[in-house]
Amino acid sequence: MLIISSYFSLAFLVIFLPITVGLYGVLPQMGRRLVLLGASYVFFWAISGKLLVYLLLATLLIHYFGLWLAEIQRRSDALVAAGEKADRRRLRRQAQTRERAVMALAFLSLMGILVTLKYAVFFTVNVNDLLQALGSTVQLTPPAFLMPIGISFYTLQATSYLFDVYRRKIPADTNLLRLALFLSFFPQIMEGPICRYEQTAGQLWQAPRLTYHNLSFGLQRLLFGVMKKLVIADRLNLFVRTVFQGYENYDGFVIAVAVVCYTIQLYMDFSGTMDLVMGTGEIFGVTLPENFRRPFFSKSISEFWQRWHITLGTWFKDYVFYPLSMAKPMKKLTSRARKVMGNHFGPLVAGSIALFCVWLGNGLWHGAGWHYIFFGMYHFALILLENLFDPFALRAAQALGISRSALPYRWMQIARTAVLVCIGELFFRANGLWAGLAMFRKIFTDFQLTTLWDHSILSLGLDKYDVLVLGVSLILLFVLALFQEEKGFRLRQALAQRPLAVRWLCYYGLILFVVIFGAYGAGYLPVDPMYASF
Amino acid sequence: MTYCKRVLSILAFSLGLILLLSGASLLFLPKNNQSEFGMEEVRANGILGEREDTIDVMVVGDSEAYSSISPMQLWRETGYTAYVAATSGQTLDYSFLMVQRAFQAQKPKLVILETNAVYREIPKSKVDISMLGKYFSVFLYHDRWKDLAWTDLTEQADYTWTDDYKGYRHSVEIQPSKDTNYMHETQEIAPIPKVNLSYVEAIRDLCQENGAQLLLLRTPSTLNWSYAKYNGILDLAEELGCPQMDMNLMNDQLQIDWNRDTRDAGDHLNAYGAAKVTRYLAGYLQETGLFQDHRSDLSYSPWQEALKRYEAATGF
Repeated sequence: MLIISSYFSLAFLVIFLPITVGLYGVLPQMGRRLVLLGASYVFFWAISGKLLVYLLLATLLIHYFGLWLAEIQRRSDALVAAGEKADRRRLRRQAQTRERAVMALAFLSLMGILVTLKYAVFFTVNVNDLLQALGSTVQLTPPAFLMPIGISFYTLQATSYLFDVYRRKIPADTNLLRLALFLSFFPQIMEGPICRYEQTAGQLWQAPRLTYHNLSFGLQRLLFGVMKKLVIADRLNLFVRTVFQGYENYDGFVIAVAVVCYTIQLYMDFSGTMDLVMGTGEIFGVTLPENFRRPFFSKSISEFWQRWHITLGTWFKDYVFYPLSMAKPMKKLTSRARKVMGNHFGPLVAGSIALFCVWLGNGLWHGAGWHYIFFGMYHFALILLENLFDPFALRAAQALGISRSALPYRWMQIARTAVLVCIGELFFRANGLWAGLAMFRKIFTDFQLTTLWDHSILSLGLDKYDVLVLGVSLILLFVLALFQEEKGFRLRQALAQRPLAVRWLCYYGLILFVVIFGAYGAGYLPVDPMYASF
Repeated sequence: MTYCKRVLSILAFSLGLILLLSGASLLFLPKNNQSEFGMEEVRANGILGEREDTIDVMVVGDSEAYSSISPMQLWRETGYTAYVAATSGQTLDYSFLMVQRAFQAQKPKLVILETNAVYREIPKSKVDISMLGKYFSVFLYHDRWKDLAWTDLTEQADYTWTDDYKGYRHSVEIQPSKDTNYMHETQEIAPIPKVNLSYVEAIRDLCQENGAQLLLLRTPSTLNWSYAKYNGILDLAEELGCPQMDMNLMNDQLQIDWNRDTRDAGDHLNAYGAAKVTRYLAGYLQETGLFQDHRSDLSYSPWQEALKRYEAATGF
């Protein structure tokens, strides 16, 4: 009996997806739409069961709140158009107040569900700690809520739709089925990408015919994602898990290697899942927004976040950073600060407050734990420092005659960014904030290379053969990424121009590579896609 | 490219893939049933090295099974051949695989499923792998790439190793159990996971196809068993139409002494407990009238020799 547990489960790859594609391929347009919607709900039900009700509730909420907002906008437009010129401003303000109230109610309803399910335990535990510290004997019982899959992703997608309707960027959708499909599309429900209504709703409702090109290109990308996840990410897990669970037993060198391995693992896991997701979307003719753009070629932390989990970053930028930094009190603060602190530091004050909120939200979005908050604050501090000192660094480089566009300087920046990212991931993965701090301290206070010289590092989950497979795979991926970055090389397009025999050999080779070198079965721990739990 | 050509190319690609996976399966299949050849769970897979059509009773299950039933004692007392293809923490997908493997060379008349495994959750990913492994063994043995030799390209699989203990794990350690009154009668029924039910059904069907009977047997354990679980197995046996036996409710016959017959405070039986369980089982098997005594059959002389080595090593 096969069970759908993730995109990498056999039930998904060899039963659910082929059946869905088969049905999609033979039905007319309306049937194709219904196949996608039905498959999405079946997929959600298979993993979260009755918790599907939360997804249905979110769909109904955005549908009716969207229509409500549109109705207020339509009425106010009519009133303003019909009203006296002197009254128009008042009418517009009244309508805005109503819209704001409806938007706030909608936002609180959606976020209320997410916050209750995801953070209630964290909140209760911290309140209990506080009560205990104050000498109180009263203790609250932490609730035992079950979280439906992808709630953190689809809630952001749902709120983005409402904000866009509120801002009149898009019209409210009167078609409940289209909206339901936009919110629930099965390839993206578990780990994103967090799509905007105008990016995918139209494409999904279009439900284009199944084509050979889409099928083959989609399957290629899907297979590539499976390779990244099973061969690299899951193999690295053996070593990462050993060291992070028992970091007290290992020296600083081993911990540093584990931190780098975890960063690679997380990237390969998430970007591999995204390749599978994008590939699956492509099969149905749907182009989902990219979530990664070779993040480890970033020259700064802010650039890193424009290349890593892109759709989350743009969500926070569009719906938290800009609204906050453009709010009237912030504008006033900026103009005052500009007078006192000058044109560089002045605008940074309001920007930094908005940035703080973004990174607090980003940290909390990843999970209910102090180490996630620390992770957010760490990146906030790095970006703030970048904003503060970038002009000085520019001047210093000019004074020293260093060309910032020279290759060695760029690679130095890339290496520095990678190190800073790895430090952040240490806290992200550590079993709590204190464990993270202890591990970080050990890297500097207990750094020794004995495990390398006596080869005992190869007994911590990865032997020399595992290291060889990882090394070869990572070098191949790095060379491919370098060509993509520097030359705009597109592997699939290049492959499509080759003769059939060459293409098939490549596909067979990649499939065998995954089957033989994948980290699954006896001796390996199954690893669920890591972002699915966020 | 026309529609037909595309369909044909997809079919051709799939066929090529099947051939490739079949070829890889032949390459990666362990060429003998020993660990140096890449075989997993060697003691349980010792059944593959037994001469064809010589096993009367096959036992699958987890550590409860290999701690409680001694095939050599059974041989000595009845002349029946049994093999315990049990593994530590065995889940039912592996039990199914073992039964399937065994039926390729053996025709046991009885398959005993130790029911502790019936309640053990099967990781979803394991279900996937065992399903794929049924058709292409490369999914089970892919990790052998680290030990592949040139001879793997040319050699056929030939399983030659057998276990003198026939899968049984002998222990004379004693750690008494304090909780001896653990079977409190209740109407409660411990639920069996759906996936597990489907595997027990599959094992039952496999047995029926191969002319074997399935017996659901629970050996004594104070730590792992309860009356609610017994109720669950009772319902399951009725649903499957196969017999069941719960030795936790049969202490009048078995006389398990929890101060002496367990090696780890009631979790598993030791050699003293296993001797009692095996003796009772021997009587039960004799009563069925299904089996022949092979002790005077010269072709079973390896069993007599194994028994001598077993007795010399264990003193039992």
